[in-house]
Amino acid sequence: MSDYERLIVERDGPVGWLIFNRPDAANAMDVTMLDELERAWDELERNPQVRVIVNTANGSAFCTGVDVVQLSKDKAALTVHSRRTRDATLRMSAWHCGVTKPVICAVNGVCAGGGLHFVADADIVMAADSATFVDPHVSIGQAVAYEAITLIQKSPMEPILHLALVGRRERMTANRAYQLGVISQVEPPDHLRTAAQELAITIAQNSPSALAATKKALWGALETGMTQAKRHAGPLVTAQWAHPDAAEGLQAFIDGRAPQWAEPDSQGS
Amino acid sequence: MSSQFQHLLVERRGPVGWVINNRPEHLNAYNTKMHQELAEAWRTLDADPQVRVIVHSGEGRAFCTGVDVNEMASDDFGVERYRQAVEDNDLGLTPLHLGVGKPVICAVNGVCAGGGLHFVADADIVIASSEAEFLDPHVSVGQVAAHEAIGLMRKMPVEAVMRMSLVGRTERLGAVRAYELGMVGEIVDPPDRLQEVAQALGETIAANSPAAMAATKKALWGALEMGLTDACRAGAVHLVSMWGHPDQSEGPRAFAERRRPNWALPIDPRTSAATDPSAATDQSGEGGPRP
Repeated sequence: MSDYERLIVERDGPVGWLIFNRPDAANAMDVTMLDELERAWDELERNPQVRVIVNTANGSAFCTGVDVVQLSKDKAALTVHSRRTRDATLRMSAWHCGVTKPVICAVNGVCAGGGLHFVADADIVMAADSATFVDPHVSIGQAVAYEAITLIQKSPMEPILHLALVGRRERMTANRAYQLGVISQVEPPDHLRTAAQELAITIAQNSPSALAATKKALWGALETGMTQAKRHAGPLVTAQWAHPDAAEGLQAFIDGRAPQWAEPDSQGS
Repeated sequence: MSSQFQHLLVERRGPVGWVINNRPEHLNAYNTKMHQELAEAWRTLDADPQVRVIVHSGEGRAFCTGVDVNEMASDDFGVERYRQAVEDNDLGLTPLHLGVGKPVICAVNGVCAGGGLHFVADADIVIASSEAEFLDPHVSVGQVAAHEAIGLMRKMPVEAVMRMSLVGRTERLGAVRAYELGMVGEIVDPPDRLQEVAQALGETIAANSPAAMAATKKALWGALEMGLTDACRAGAVHLVSMWGHPDQSEGPRAFAERRRPNWALPIDPRTSAATDPSAATDQSGEGGPRP
């Protein structure tokens, strides 16, 4: 795939991989990486051969947030990032970038501060047993907002507030994150990528159009009350009935054979 | 009660009304007839003043495996039979859909798949046998997973729900993990004690004030519809609705006098003329609050 300086973007069968690749800086996001993230999500979303996306990192850390020191040296980039932060229009995560394909976050090591965006915004999260989660924002005088706001929608709230308010001296382990349902799978570090690929392959057997509509319904449900969310989901359910996959899926089930899904178009729908 | 139902067992055991999915040869998948019967069962038990709590379980190795796909494939209606209901968000399937005011315990006896998750999502209390398993195969058969998952997401960690919805039929959430995640509140082992445990829990709950429980249900389910402050304001209306209700003075009095309270029967316009409040004490079971 295209050239990236701070990322590795590749495909293994139906699985697209977005790998943070700035290990000497604990995968902190500098200006280049921020730009590349937006491009990489878009590339994976548009590639019709990619059905599921895995996000992980090279090195011992997963991601340690925005590289504020480097960012502050680039006046123009700082302005863009500050404006996006102010307007809640960040373009870091798959959710920010409107990715409609399933995204698995495979946390290989420490995930700190802004790195939590990728955990909060993924559909499925797994981690190495050595991974930890920490939110040092308040320890360096910054407010916590987006990462924790999403996480408290998805998991018990006290542990998220706990991390947000204690700051850099508190780390949540992978096992605790599993207990709380923040993540659903813990693996030995050297098996993490294999496990992520296996799960992604499993998901890739499902109807791409049904997966996209399901994602839309479920993430949309975090925006409104329950009944309103169900009302919004109704048209997504019935629209799928007009898609060839809906009839094919049921017929294949009745015939006891593997379904032949329609090829998704290049927009990833 | 059961005689009018083909695919369900519906009966009252003391203060507990039971609905048992009874199509075990189809893993309790619901066809059109069973769907209609479920709606009728919820209405019947909600209107029966002798029923204080409702338990929903299944016969055989499955609890419920959702819509009967074979029925859908057997005629020209297919999925279209559900279009109006889905578009109107009026599925008419679960106690929540029917507006049941009494506490509902879902006792999951085995596999619960796809549309079967509606009953877990929409119950007040969920317990499960150690053999229970949960999965959502919708996307594996080209369908969208939505309403069941949206309900579950309000009640348990979201990641687990999204995983179940996107992975589809090849992965099952076991009873132990469902318990850890708070999706179910109790695991019954050995599994054949499930109905006994559910009945005991039902009788415990039946000892509480029916009016207070109905108002509590309204306040808590209503809170899933809005932001926190709005939910507190709306909840206050339900809380204050108990002021002046006889149960509100009877409860503390019974507590002070170390006796079981005599709750007023819930007022139901269909049955209120025929009820005798003194009958309520006979139905309160053995699990009443003791000072």
